[in-house]
Amino acid sequence: MDVKMNEDTKELLSTISGIAEEEPELLSARENEIYLKISEAGFEDITPALAERKFSLIGLFCAEVFENTDGFTLFYAFKQAGKASVLVLVREPGKEKRVSSVAGIFPSASWFEREIRDGFGLDFAGALDNRRLFLHECYHEGFHPLQKAFKNGPVHPVETPSKEYKFRQVKGEGVYQIPVGPVHAGIIEPGHFRFSVIGEPIFSLEIRLFYKHRGIEKLAEGKSPSECVALAEAVSGDESMANATGFCMAVEQACGISVPERAERLRAIMLELERIYSLLGDLAGMAVDVGFALVASPFSILREEVFRQNEKLTGSRFLRGITVLGGLKKDIPDSALKELPAFLEKFSRAFESAYDRAMSSSSLIDRFATTGVIKKELVSPLNLTGPLARASGCPADTRIDRPYGAYRDFAPEPSVRKRGDVLSRFEIKADEIRASVNLILRLTENLPQEPVFAENREEAENIGQNSGKNGSSGVTGYSLALVEAARGQNLHWVYLKNGLIDRYKVRTASYCNWQAIEHAVIGNIVPDFPLINKSLNLSYAGTDL
Amino acid sequence: MVNPLSLFLRPKVTETFKFRDEELEALGEEIKKEIPKVFGHSLAIRELDSGSDNSTEIEISNLGNPHYDVERFGISFVASPRHADILLVTGAVTLNMAEAVKKTYEAMPSPKFVVAVGDDACDGGIYKDSYAVLSGVDKILPVDMKIPGNPPSPKEILKGILALVKKASK
Repeated sequence: MDVKMNEDTKELLSTISGIAEEEPELLSARENEIYLKISEAGFEDITPALAERKFSLIGLFCAEVFENTDGFTLFYAFKQAGKASVLVLVREPGKEKRVSSVAGIFPSASWFEREIRDGFGLDFAGALDNRRLFLHECYHEGFHPLQKAFKNGPVHPVETPSKEYKFRQVKGEGVYQIPVGPVHAGIIEPGHFRFSVIGEPIFSLEIRLFYKHRGIEKLAEGKSPSECVALAEAVSGDESMANATGFCMAVEQACGISVPERAERLRAIMLELERIYSLLGDLAGMAVDVGFALVASPFSILREEVFRQNEKLTGSRFLRGITVLGGLKKDIPDSALKELPAFLEKFSRAFESAYDRAMSSSSLIDRFATTGVIKKELVSPLNLTGPLARASGCPADTRIDRPYGAYRDFAPEPSVRKRGDVLSRFEIKADEIRASVNLILRLTENLPQEPVFAENREEAENIGQNSGKNGSSGVTGYSLALVEAARGQNLHWVYLKNGLIDRYKVRTASYCNWQAIEHAVIGNIVPDFPLINKSLNLSYAGTDL
Repeated sequence: MVNPLSLFLRPKVTETFKFRDEELEALGEEIKKEIPKVFGHSLAIRELDSGSDNSTEIEISNLGNPHYDVERFGISFVASPRHADILLVTGAVTLNMAEAVKKTYEAMPSPKFVVAVGDDACDGGIYKDSYAVLSGVDKILPVDMKIPGNPPSPKEILKGILALVKKASK
């Protein structure tokens, strides 16, 4: 077996050997990713010990017929804050349709387990919540789209649902519920919110999402990796670049494709531009939600200017269609790249003046401070990442913890706040925009002149194209990639069989971060909900897939 | 700290970036002239996301930013379908949203128009073969105008709206 582990991973492996009663079987390892096969008894032993050592469950997913095993295989991906390595525990329930739940130990597992239950029909014994997740009432009972037996195609929706989706009931004197959505009163994505309130203050909130479930993971099945880049871009519109990069990185690692430095640098520049426009939208949105158009406008203007820069660089305002396996589809015109530093200088001046104006308004500070607090204690159990975690005192950033691409040589300046309220998130997001501007300036300096495709690009492009047809078979393998999108850490896992995608799992930062909102709103008044929601900026599309 | 007086004394911040776009202005003026032919003084639009990847919504909300500022052309985005003349639908219709899409349409007063914005809304786009979508919006609503693009730019969306207004006045 090809085992090239870094120190971090070796340390992780020895920690696990120390905790586990029986030695787990090492399935495979890469530089900072190890897969350990573990027995049912071993699994029960090890999970509480991992929780004690502050491991977060960053992903939990299932695959059918993995590496010649019959039936199902479960993957539990764990990571410690600040460490690069990812530990994947592989559990093989085989044809068994019932396994034990870990939601009691890792709360972030609850949605993952419900998701697997919907997709594959696996039950989790002792689960806290057995309701369906992404399959709403319009789907038949017993329909499990991610099973191999189901061939993708139209299904007939249920006319009259037999089961009602039961929301959590909060009873007591003066408690009443406010149902909101799925269609909201503005230009935003659909989702349902159930507020239980006593007068103005919110007592409890339950969210129901997945109205936009489009079946992206199933659509990827059987496609060639190059065909799937567009699907990755469609996971969430304002994370197109991050998700395309994440998907490509996972395939590149699995196939051993190395990306030239120029392409890595350009990818990083675009990732930072995406971060800037995304965060600018948040700053503007937060100001709008407290009725402060004078502060919001300059942020929106800057955002549109970034969109236009994106178009000049790549031909797409959302940086779509430029990322391919092994590098970039085309080089970026020098004329557009040369314009960037001057643009960013102008940008920074306008940005600082807009930020000063925001921070010198006492009414804005009054609404922002102490609103929507997310406690630091929630970060690890719920796997909260991105600006949200950094505003609550946790410095986690995938670009720094587990550097990839050009971030191996160019790290952003870290920024942390401790209060965890809306104001902290506003400040953090502003800091991150400044850091991204500086990073782009550094990335554009002395850019190497070379092709933007991998040397073995031909092979890369042909992965899967000719397999099966003329007998030649492509790569078989699997790999996990983590990227830092504007909202936090996104996880991409691909499993290739003969060069075709057999299973593609995406988990965006929003998927985990959404669960913070039910905690953040407690005790706040209903009119502050839109502000809290905006300050977290969660993607519905990126969650619903 | 900003001195409040400086807000009045110093030049406007928007002047850092010059963004007057003649094509957009002409387009807007034309829309402004066309609207009263069918819709009274202004055009009320309700946006409905039936399962998009959110890029199309971003472009639609960009229509309100200072570069485009379409309210000056008589176009406003309203909170309720009850106030709307036009329903702008984005994204392929997912099974999970189908019921809500129908109800939103039914809540609109007649006469009403439906515009599909973006490739996915036009014909299902990238999700065409998925179990989770019904394909384009025209599968469940009568669509009067389709604006393709992945996603269409704010200007393209505006052109589509103009085309619809012209079509409606015939």
